[in-house]
Amino acid sequence: MKILVVDDSKAMRMIVVRTLRQAGFSGHDVVEAENGKEGLDLTQSIKPGLVLSDWNMPEMTGIEFLRALRGSGDSTPFCFVTSEGSDEMRTTAEAAGALGLIAKPFTEDAFRDVLGSVVPS
Amino acid sequence: MTTFDDLVEAQDELDAIVIDVLGSILGEEAAPAHLDLPDGQVATARLAIHDEGDDTFAVVEVRVGIALARVMAGRMMFVADPEDDDVLDAVAELGNICGGNVKSLLCQHARLSLPSAEIGSGLPALSGASVRVRAVVLGHLVELAVTPGAPIEGLDWPPAAVDEELERQT
Repeated sequence: MKILVVDDSKAMRMIVVRTLRQAGFSGHDVVEAENGKEGLDLTQSIKPGLVLSDWNMPEMTGIEFLRALRGSGDSTPFCFVTSEGSDEMRTTAEAAGALGLIAKPFTEDAFRDVLGSVVPS
Repeated sequence: MTTFDDLVEAQDELDAIVIDVLGSILGEEAAPAHLDLPDGQVATARLAIHDEGDDTFAVVEVRVGIALARVMAGRMMFVADPEDDDVLDAVAELGNICGGNVKSLLCQHARLSLPSAEIGSGLPALSGASVRVRAVVLGHLVELAVTPGAPIEGLDWPPAAVDEELERQT
């Protein structure tokens, strides 16, 4: 499976990729993008099986990215990995069609719980 | 009365945030501390929370001595000798995680700026209104400060927030 990891922090993208591995989701083809606009372009060109995206990013935020995807009829599973885990943001994410929201700092258990239904181990 | 007036009462929660975030990022146990950061080079992350309910701002700053900042960047990015850009990226992300958690703690209807980070000598003085917590990890101090009403010049906001700001001004 191709997994697209979108975050404006290189350090966080690397941590997300490591945590995927630690959660048991190894052997997948991980592609990275630095903001929602890049993520949207890549989702349309490489057709990932899952998008893991930050929320607060320059150029295009994660929620705008998700709404643009769903607006184009794209139903790729999409999960936020973000520093803000308020109830309001979880509700907004779910209403826009997100699979879930993993709040930073996170553990591999959170990845397993939220992503286990869509990512083969 | 604004969202940020009760910051002192949230001190224990702020302590918990910085300890939790450091523990997760470094994979090491962090503990509360009551010492001042030593003199010398410091990496600082800075970002702002805008409470849209009462239109007030608070600035969140995370300060890390350069030695720990380099260790942090190395562990986050799996490199033995991180470049300054890697250190800035890692410290900005540390600030972003702390800021996001502070925002979730203090207010619901708020937005968060993008983090900025810099490395420098000598710490600019914090306002007397700042609430500060410190933690020690790997023998080094980290400081998290939240300052209501501090200047937000130089900080960037995510694009949707910029649109909202323009709407407010017109």
